[in-house]
Amino acid sequence: MSTAASRRANTEPRWLRVLLLCVGLGFLFFFLALPLLAVFVEALSAGWSAYIEALDDPETRSAIALTLLVALTVLPFNVTFGVAAAWAIAKFDFRGKSLLITLIDLPFAVSPVVVGLVFLLIFGAQGLFGPSLAAHDIKVVFALPGIIVVTLFITFPFVARELIPLMQAQGKDEEEAAISLGASAWQMFRRVTLPNITWGLLYGVILANARAMGEFGAVSVVSGHIRGETNTLPLHVEILYNEYNAVGAFASASVLALLALVTLVAKSIVEWRMHRETRMLAEALPAEGNPGRGRLVAPVSPASGDF
Amino acid sequence: MSASTSRSRVLPGFGLSLGCTLVYLSLLILLPLSGLAFKASHLSLAEFWAIASGERALASYRVTFGASLLAATANAFFGLIVAWILVRYSFPGKRAIDALVDLPFALPTAVAGITLATLYAGNGWIGRHLESLGVKVAFTPLGIVVALTFIGLPFVVRTLQPVIEDIEPEVEEAAASLGASRLQTFSRVLLPAIFPALVTGFTLALSRSIGEYGSVIFIAGNLPLISEITPLLIISKLEQYDVVGATALAMVMLMISFVMLLVVNGLQWWAASRHRGDGPSDGEVR
Amino acid sequence: MSIEIRAISKRFGGFVALDDINLQIPTGELVALLGPSGCGKTTLLRIIAGMESADAGQVLFAGEEATHVHARDRNVGFVFQHYALFRHMSVFENVAFGLRVKPRKVRPSAAEIRQRVNDLLKLVQLDWLADRYPSQLSGGQRQRIALARALAVEPRVLLLDEPFGALDTRVRKELRRWLRRLHDEMHISSVFVTHDQEEALEVADRVVVMNRGRIEQIGSPDEVYSNPASPFVYQFLGNVNVFHSRVHGEWADVGRAGGGPEGEATAYVRPHDIEIEHRPVVGSLEATVQEVHPIGPLVRVELAHASELIEVELTRERATVLALAEGQQVWLKPRQVRVFAAPSAAMEEGGSGI
Repeated sequence: MSTAASRRANTEPRWLRVLLLCVGLGFLFFFLALPLLAVFVEALSAGWSAYIEALDDPETRSAIALTLLVALTVLPFNVTFGVAAAWAIAKFDFRGKSLLITLIDLPFAVSPVVVGLVFLLIFGAQGLFGPSLAAHDIKVVFALPGIIVVTLFITFPFVARELIPLMQAQGKDEEEAAISLGASAWQMFRRVTLPNITWGLLYGVILANARAMGEFGAVSVVSGHIRGETNTLPLHVEILYNEYNAVGAFASASVLALLALVTLVAKSIVEWRMHRETRMLAEALPAEGNPGRGRLVAPVSPASGDF
Repeated sequence: MSASTSRSRVLPGFGLSLGCTLVYLSLLILLPLSGLAFKASHLSLAEFWAIASGERALASYRVTFGASLLAATANAFFGLIVAWILVRYSFPGKRAIDALVDLPFALPTAVAGITLATLYAGNGWIGRHLESLGVKVAFTPLGIVVALTFIGLPFVVRTLQPVIEDIEPEVEEAAASLGASRLQTFSRVLLPAIFPALVTGFTLALSRSIGEYGSVIFIAGNLPLISEITPLLIISKLEQYDVVGATALAMVMLMISFVMLLVVNGLQWWAASRHRGDGPSDGEVR
Repeated sequence: MSIEIRAISKRFGGFVALDDINLQIPTGELVALLGPSGCGKTTLLRIIAGMESADAGQVLFAGEEATHVHARDRNVGFVFQHYALFRHMSVFENVAFGLRVKPRKVRPSAAEIRQRVNDLLKLVQLDWLADRYPSQLSGGQRQRIALARALAVEPRVLLLDEPFGALDTRVRKELRRWLRRLHDEMHISSVFVTHDQEEALEVADRVVVMNRGRIEQIGSPDEVYSNPASPFVYQFLGNVNVFHSRVHGEWADVGRAGGGPEGEATAYVRPHDIEIEHRPVVGSLEATVQEVHPIGPLVRVELAHASELIEVELTRERATVLALAEGQQVWLKPRQVRVFAAPSAAMEEGGSGI
């Protein structure tokens, strides 16, 4: 990055650089920094005590608890199925693989409102399974299970999407080496695969978690907005805002904004770690004037040059 | 070249992992979505068409697509500048600003919605100044554009950044040494290289914007025919217990999603195939 | 332990990677699988290791059927082209891996493992790197660690896939001498894959030359170089001049006198097997000197006969005696010629092989 910036032939005239910096940073300031700042300013507009009081409200606390509960419930599913999907897709070839990758991306493309409606149609009172669920007195829609299911849907792609390119780049040499040294499937996974994907997995989990805690549209359709019961924190923000309780709404919003900041910091740390690992791998090689440098960073396949 | 075509695979877990993935994908994603299609199939084509092309529905498509296109265009323009300065220039606080670009991914949409609505309202920090210039943002279609610009920003920047990083400085030096001006270098050498990524980022932002709900409803004003987006129309139909109407509109949205997904996939394939060196290498035997 | 390959075939979709391969590798031998990329050599190695399964045929270890034995149970040491070291484990842990994953009953104690790993690291002369991570090692060091890791489980067979392919020339030369010495010490049956003829000829006891999924020739390095069994082997191992009987009638006849095939024929002569004379002699071919390049201990002369280029290598002494000048008329006489029936079109497009 810095090499490019320091080269004379590759830089814009000074006035243009200043202009681009002003436009770019100005845009980021108005669209990102200012809103972020506004959340906290609005939350504290009536002073600290009002802020604390707003957060101490039992409904707010139950909304925070529900949001955490949903995020924690969703987590193991995302990890398990993300790793399973990435393992199958990255380490094996099979027909329909690109279709599968596209389908995994599907939840990103569908509007959250449509997602909510879909599950309403299935589990709702007039839905496909509605009557039989009611007969067994099982509540899915307008209850916790519904919120969890739509959150699962919404967060489905995150972990797999992070892991697939990572595991493809790592190739299957190390796993094959482990097997040829006598490791069992579990030993191979536990000792070789898992340590190699730890950071990528964490990255996916961070993103999925941010989405799980912040999801609004889909949850809004299936939650039923029962205060103190099925109100997640983002829904609670909406209710308070619509009741013109600005301090309460922004106090709850500030919790979510803090969460977003924590997410960004965690994400940066993980990115930095992942970047360092790949760079370390790349840097160690030119020492011997290695011609196959690119390959070692991302081994194409064990038999890259040959059958 | 791969172990996978053989009858027995050396690496374990193929059947288990693929099986789990397919079952989970089917139960969680595919079956529910086909449930929607099933429900919609109860409607005759004429009924479906009547709902999907109703006056309010048509207006909502116009608002949704118009605002999404405008927002994605703004993002393509500003996103290119932001990606460029983040890759090429050095300035204080660059790493923090780089991290901040992901804020719209991390910040819950409801928070973004109420904050933007407050900022751009007539008495807000920004709205106050705009209103003295005679521009109303909050509770107008323009507000929708603002919210969608916020939501779509990271898509363009994050798609462009790696591509700009990958451009070898030598290419630009070569262009300069051949007598190209900076503008010529940009338009003839750099822009063609980053164009596929720019289009991909634009489409991703557009795709996200079309389905967006949470950040929009607070700032939109939600006036039928004027500032009502399609997802909101679905919700209001649901609130009036018009499940059939909601289903039909959701079906329209779902089909649009599929089309967008296909377009994005096609674009990414296009961008990737342009970057791959397809030429034969020296001494290649095959 | 001996390895026997019986009638192994393997296809990838429409591509025939291996076509009815038969091969016997006696105990303790170091064998090179040599051929261009795509010839099937790596696939064969992976089938021996159990990483790939053949469509047909058998693999026998020490006379015992091993075709369907899982890779993990074959007790084969496999060294990967790109090392495949476990990137998050130290060098010590990499080498110890095979011992640590053994079932509890047969797993050595911690102390034994430490002892074994240290011995192996000493063997590959890298005991001072035990605590480093793979990313901190040079390519040559990684390769030796990969070898130590493969040897830790006391494999019955050692398989190496392009072991020096990713290294630069100097390190490669050093390492292959070292591998030869190591093999002589351990005396374990080893197979390595390479596309580098020099490497195969220098290191191996026997060379298996492969092309397009078939074995072209099996023999000692000297045999395959001096007595190639096919035009392919001739062209793949070292430089060669190709003469077509319809173009260079007399030369092909020279070869034919030695019992060559009838009809259209092609003669193969190595550049150093051609003698240059100032005067015509029996069976010689007239040519014009085009360029003279002294290259190290040799002098390479390029000559034109009709429209074709012929390459000749002379010693410096001989070149001094001949005192060749560009444009000079000379006569060529082969010392050793091999004649094969006229090759298929596919062979011919390969050109003169120089």
